[in-house]
Amino acid sequence: MAEKLLNENIVSQIREVFEQLDKPVEVMFFGSMADCEYCDDTLQLAGEVVAISEKLSLKEYDIDADAELARQYNVDKVPGLVIAARDGDQVTDYGVRLAGIPSGHEFSTLIHDLVLVSSRESGLSQETRRFLQDVKQPVLLQVFVTPT
Amino acid sequence: MLAHQMALESPWVQAEMVEAMEFPELSDRHGVSGVPQTTINDGAGHVIGAVPEDHLVEEIRRALKN
Repeated sequence: MAEKLLNENIVSQIREVFEQLDKPVEVMFFGSMADCEYCDDTLQLAGEVVAISEKLSLKEYDIDADAELARQYNVDKVPGLVIAARDGDQVTDYGVRLAGIPSGHEFSTLIHDLVLVSSRESGLSQETRRFLQDVKQPVLLQVFVTPT
Repeated sequence: MLAHQMALESPWVQAEMVEAMEFPELSDRHGVSGVPQTTINDGAGHVIGAVPEDHLVEEIRRALKN
């Protein structure tokens, strides 16, 4: 068995944060059989995180074998994670994605994304929500980060 | 993160966090030097640093006008 990426101390901290989880969340992992340096670690990490709460589930896909699904969810990078809402069999995509391994600072973003999507509430100010209500064209925000 | 909150709020908004070092071509294309850098619609706008909500809203508004 592969060594765990998350130690017990981290797991217990995450478990505390996950007390805020409300509705189910599905993490969709897209990897590749081709050259993908961080796919294995990302999949393992996602697996260890979803194992912490019953409200979280993980589905594993391949960007080539599941190309149509990848297109549907706008995934064009591996490893890619889609943080989607799940209600019964229904999966709802909000357009919340991560590209690359969520380690370091990105790891806390992953944890907070799970809580965010679980709440189904953006938590944005009234002003921002009013602005977004008037947006009727596609907006792609790409936030570049580094692990340190 | 703010971009993800906006994605959750609006069906028109998608937000992708990109690990810059794993995708150097894309990062170079958008001239990523400091992080976080938020790129709007493939270069229509850029925001450098972690900025307040209203600042990002203004940049999106400006990018959509172009």
